[in-house]
Amino acid sequence: MEYFLELLINGALTGLMYSLAALGFVLIYKSSGVPNLAQGALVMLGAYLTWYFTNAWGIPIFLGIAVAVVAMFLFGMLTERFLLRKMVGQPIIMIVMLTLGLEILLRGVAPGFLGAAPKSIDVGIDLAPIIIGDIFINRGYLVGAIVALVLVAASLLFFRTRLGTKLRAVSDDHVSSWAVGISVERAIAVSWALAGASAVAAGVMWGAEQGVDHNLAALLFPAVAVVILGGLDSIYGVVVGGLIVGILGSVIPGYVDPLVGGGTRDVVVSLIILLTILFRPHGIFGREDIERV
Amino acid sequence: MNHLLRKTLLGSAATITLAAGTSAQADDTITFGLLQDFTAVYTFVTDEYHQGQQDYLELINQRGGIEGKTFDTFVRDTGNEPDRGIEAYSRARGEGAVLVDFLSTPVSRAIVDRALDDETVMITPLHGRGDASHGETFPYVFPMMATYWAQATALIDYIDEHRGGLEGKTIAHVYIDTPFGREPIPVLEELAEREGFQLETFAYPTPGTEQSATWSNVRRARPDHVLIWGAGGGQPVSVREAIRNGIAPEDILSVVWLAETDANTVGRDRFEGVRRFEAVAAGTDYPIIEAIQEEVIEPGHGSGSEENVGTSYYNIGVATMAVAVEAARNAIEEHGVVTGETLRDGFYGIEDYDAEGLMPPVTFSPDDHQGGGMGRVSKWDGDSWEPLTDWFSAHEDVVWEAIERDAADFRD
Repeated sequence: MEYFLELLINGALTGLMYSLAALGFVLIYKSSGVPNLAQGALVMLGAYLTWYFTNAWGIPIFLGIAVAVVAMFLFGMLTERFLLRKMVGQPIIMIVMLTLGLEILLRGVAPGFLGAAPKSIDVGIDLAPIIIGDIFINRGYLVGAIVALVLVAASLLFFRTRLGTKLRAVSDDHVSSWAVGISVERAIAVSWALAGASAVAAGVMWGAEQGVDHNLAALLFPAVAVVILGGLDSIYGVVVGGLIVGILGSVIPGYVDPLVGGGTRDVVVSLIILLTILFRPHGIFGREDIERV
Repeated sequence: MNHLLRKTLLGSAATITLAAGTSAQADDTITFGLLQDFTAVYTFVTDEYHQGQQDYLELINQRGGIEGKTFDTFVRDTGNEPDRGIEAYSRARGEGAVLVDFLSTPVSRAIVDRALDDETVMITPLHGRGDASHGETFPYVFPMMATYWAQATALIDYIDEHRGGLEGKTIAHVYIDTPFGREPIPVLEELAEREGFQLETFAYPTPGTEQSATWSNVRRARPDHVLIWGAGGGQPVSVREAIRNGIAPEDILSVVWLAETDANTVGRDRFEGVRRFEAVAAGTDYPIIEAIQEEVIEPGHGSGSEENVGTSYYNIGVATMAVAVEAARNAIEEHGVVTGETLRDGFYGIEDYDAEGLMPPVTFSPDDHQGGGMGRVSKWDGDSWEPLTDWFSAHEDVVWEAIERDAADFRD
């Protein structure tokens, strides 16, 4: 029982860490209707920039994070201005391909300019676990999960603001939004900027665990599973999807791996994606009128 | 731009320029193809490793080369993709490369047949096929350092000799779920049976960045010692999870792929006590590294960041080229010319060469392309890697049984 609870709790925390990476995906989709396949690379870039500002400028880690948030916010806006805006009126599949191209570009350019060898980010989290009975709880994931919940709450509040409402309107219908005087371009730019900023949080928390290198971009895979399960346009879905992906990805391998002698977590995550698309294509909380590619 | 990336581009251009020069120039130049993965899976090691290789060749060139012949490199990024590796290999051959190093298991495996047919020397230090140590089967492939089988036997022997013996103990092998991670298992099983310890194996999925469920299982097995068998980003995660699950750092023993960058990621103090297999010494207190500092780095001829000089992977890169240059020296002395065939023979002329203490003494023969398979165990002392043993090899019969078995499969 204690073993099961440990897998359950650490799985839930891991899942919320995935939610952190998935949040930017939903922010962009909810605002602009674009599935952003560059989200994993944005997480990687956010971590790289935090490492760079902290080390090159010799500033404290939390100041480095703040500077990276600003830099990624600007990067998001520039991405809209010079890439996305040129795609207005193009088929959605081409926009998806554009984000895929951006993913590949960033995965090559960031390590190329900032160094491919793994970098370290120390946010001062103790390695010692929290021990309850015979259950060991990962302190780093616990902090990451708390950060994820705070950012999700902030996102929910944001979409109730005037600007957030405009973003939702743009997501519903670009032409109608234009007709009522909403700057669609600006709204999309803001969504990309927010996704860039949230990517820093994911990059720092995951980077503190595993080091900063191109591997951080691989977070795209679990992040996509989270948003497909939770719903591409649902902030609540990010939390619930993250919890389910994390728990199933921990509990099932915890019992099955010793029997089959292999790492089955990726199989579990893949099945979550496939089964969700087959049986509930809009996810748990997603809107059914979502156009799929 | 990252210095090595720039070097890659400039290096390629320089080689092309050289190739367009006179034949006299070509005769005076020995070209090595460093066709490595700068952008995908092996990025955790390639920068430093490649820098060490370039700096060592620069040292030799600064000293006038060998018998007036200098070294040049043909550099390409393969991205760990066999098709790009094959293309790079063809180009390197076209540029006259007599030796190639891919630093990528998938790419070097894809090239083996071609290298054998073309009689091009392919070095595969700490990657590629372990069975290529069987010189009769793979006459042009040189693993040149301890195979993963040799590393596993050395670590088990270290536990036996220095950590209270093996009888009745439980040893966990925690590995990335790839052929590389699974490779030592047959050898470990053989040793478990022979030495009377219990082996428990635990796989984690690639790329190894999330291993918490695996380590919950490891903890419940109550292992006395843990072997961690991964590379890159998965390694610091393994060490973190091991410590979080109550395993003392001194009971964590790693395959060769654990370095200063991993200590930084985990925390240099928290990492203290972790053991690893060491194929080449780390640090700058070795005559070759000191010479590189003096004659290459200080005059500004270095190929990358000065901070990397003396790191584990930098020194491995230096050692690979030190051996290759020795082979070339022998080839020139014996044959006056360096071709794939004479270079291979040059390797066979290497006997007890240790690069002035930088690496264990290696001896190559038509039978043994591993060079003896020696290494040592070192521990992280909070600041650097401190050797705990002399250079040694262990259970060579078990290692060679594995080498011969797989080589026979290849021949079939």
